[in-house]
Amino acid sequence: MSGAPPAVSVVETVVADAFRQEWGRITAALIHQTGDWDLAEECAQDAFARALLRWPRDGVPDRPGAWLMTVARNGAIDRLRRGSTYRAKVEELAVMATRETGPSDPDPGADDSGVPDERLRLIFTCCHPALAMEAQVALTLRTLTGLSTAEIARAFLVPEATMAKRLVRAKHKIAHARIPYRVPPAGALPQRVPGVLAVLYLVFNEGYSASAGDDLIRRDLCDRAVALTQVLAELLPSEPEAKGLLALMLFHRARQAARVNDRGDLVTLEDQDRTRWDHAQIEVARGYLEAAVAARRPGQYQIQAAIAGCHAAAPTAQATDWPRIAWLYRHLADLTGSPVVELNRAVAVAMADGPAAGLALLQRLETGGALAGYYLLPATRADFLRRLGRNEEAASAYEEAAALASTGPERRFLTARLAEVRPQHT
Amino acid sequence: MQYMLIHTGAPDLDWAWDDEAWAALRSWLDETIGSGVSIEGGPLQLDADATTVKVRNGQLIITDGPYAETKEQIAGFDVIECASLEEAVQWAGRHPHSWMGAVEVRALVGGPPVVHLPEPGAGQTRYMMLVCTDPAVGPQEFAHIEPVGPWVAAMDRRGIRLFGSVLDPPGAARTVRVRDKHAIVTDGPFAETKEQIAGFDVLECADLDEAIEAAAKHPMARVGLLEVRPFRRLGED
Repeated sequence: MSGAPPAVSVVETVVADAFRQEWGRITAALIHQTGDWDLAEECAQDAFARALLRWPRDGVPDRPGAWLMTVARNGAIDRLRRGSTYRAKVEELAVMATRETGPSDPDPGADDSGVPDERLRLIFTCCHPALAMEAQVALTLRTLTGLSTAEIARAFLVPEATMAKRLVRAKHKIAHARIPYRVPPAGALPQRVPGVLAVLYLVFNEGYSASAGDDLIRRDLCDRAVALTQVLAELLPSEPEAKGLLALMLFHRARQAARVNDRGDLVTLEDQDRTRWDHAQIEVARGYLEAAVAARRPGQYQIQAAIAGCHAAAPTAQATDWPRIAWLYRHLADLTGSPVVELNRAVAVAMADGPAAGLALLQRLETGGALAGYYLLPATRADFLRRLGRNEEAASAYEEAAALASTGPERRFLTARLAEVRPQHT
Repeated sequence: MQYMLIHTGAPDLDWAWDDEAWAALRSWLDETIGSGVSIEGGPLQLDADATTVKVRNGQLIITDGPYAETKEQIAGFDVIECASLEEAVQWAGRHPHSWMGAVEVRALVGGPPVVHLPEPGAGQTRYMMLVCTDPAVGPQEFAHIEPVGPWVAAMDRRGIRLFGSVLDPPGAARTVRVRDKHAIVTDGPFAETKEQIAGFDVLECADLDEAIEAAAKHPMARVGLLEVRPFRRLGED
């Protein structure tokens, strides 16, 4: 600490940064030591509130993470002492606290805050398959990223009381049914890692696809999903799919600025201004993808990232390596059996071999019926028909798609295309 | 003959426990334990804390919640020893759950008799594992079920399985509901769901992962459903 106290606004920024970086670490450590989820959240909250009061006056500490962890842990000791029945837990916490005051010997695997990183335990517990998916998502956002109950409720468009109930119920189940707070043994990892990745990807997509709701909180969801995936990829270095998912998210996020025009309308990949892509981020994504692929254990996220990487590498839409993308989609479809992937494959094939080839694949998909009611199915058919010059059929497909689309930008896009192909009535 | 009494109630059951219900439970336990009728039993956590496990195409599928959505939730059980189904039905009609919800009576078939259990070991959690049928599984698939003996032997050896039994088929069950002090006894189980309870095992495990692992190895995991529900510990909400 040195010099004059910093300006309040500067401190607020520093605290906000520390919040993003340290919240999950602090709650994870406190849950590990006390077994009490609510206590951990309250003490983490208090520590950040104290920082906002103290740092403008005393200056920002040299190791903000360690300061916050100490304050949070002391708060926990204090509360447990008042509860008086938790002697053993208090002692464990006190031991951790004294160990940390010595500047000489940080724990192995510890960082700035001086404690081992327990976030991996917390991630696996929040994403335990015995909890409902929506509860896994809510708990992950609350305890690992510190998003408030109100913010999570807003992001997922449910009343705050519903979200609060969901969180309480999940914590009860963890306690009652004894869901263990640990990283699964190595043998169980292949079964559990996909579940964790699915939660993180769902959070990212909720933010990215903007199916509804307010923009700011949604961009925030994307950033938090990326940050958590980064933590996971670092803490599970032998899981290529974690790096694959991280690469996938970064490739997508790099295009964020170019996805929406000034009027808030969606811009398709084809029409995006590629100079507005974040090329530095694309390079970072490519690095993660290469590291993942080097393990030679392909998975759905690595393949999706590879597809996103093909798009990112193309200087223009025309110069995209569509045959390679179609090939990657074929592998992805084999791996996942997902009709949505099959739909994307049809798009890639249409680009590589012409819209008639795409239309043939689409017809097979439509007979299957798995995507009935999904607006992108008629929207894709409309696009193929338009490119084949079959305008009347295209128009009715656009109409069908617009009726199924849920958000404003998607519907506006479809109506605009409809106007292009519809014969003039005047 | 041993019978299982499955206690059920509305989801907001905890509010239904008034002084009268507590007094009735106390005298029911005094009488049945004193006379050696009640062998073992206890309250269970409600649906929100249940987990259902199945294995399909070699894939373990774990879901949050009970084996079936029912109006009356399972809230506890007793295993009693008495001479006939009629006598068991009478005991069921005097249990407070018969007016707070319903009590289903099912005879235990096969296996050694259930005995009274000591308190769980330190750090151990007890789970009721309900062995249930899955209407999505056809009779042909069901016919390929493996024998349960090796699973029982393995879980007994590991100290995970405390006791358990196959139950008389659902058609042979009786369900007792007392309304306005009149007992209404119906044939069949308490829930009119397509999924039905076929048997049960009481497990004692370090945590839910161990209980799920045990359930997943049960032969019925491939052709049925296994619900794992923790016992309710004293003083727990």
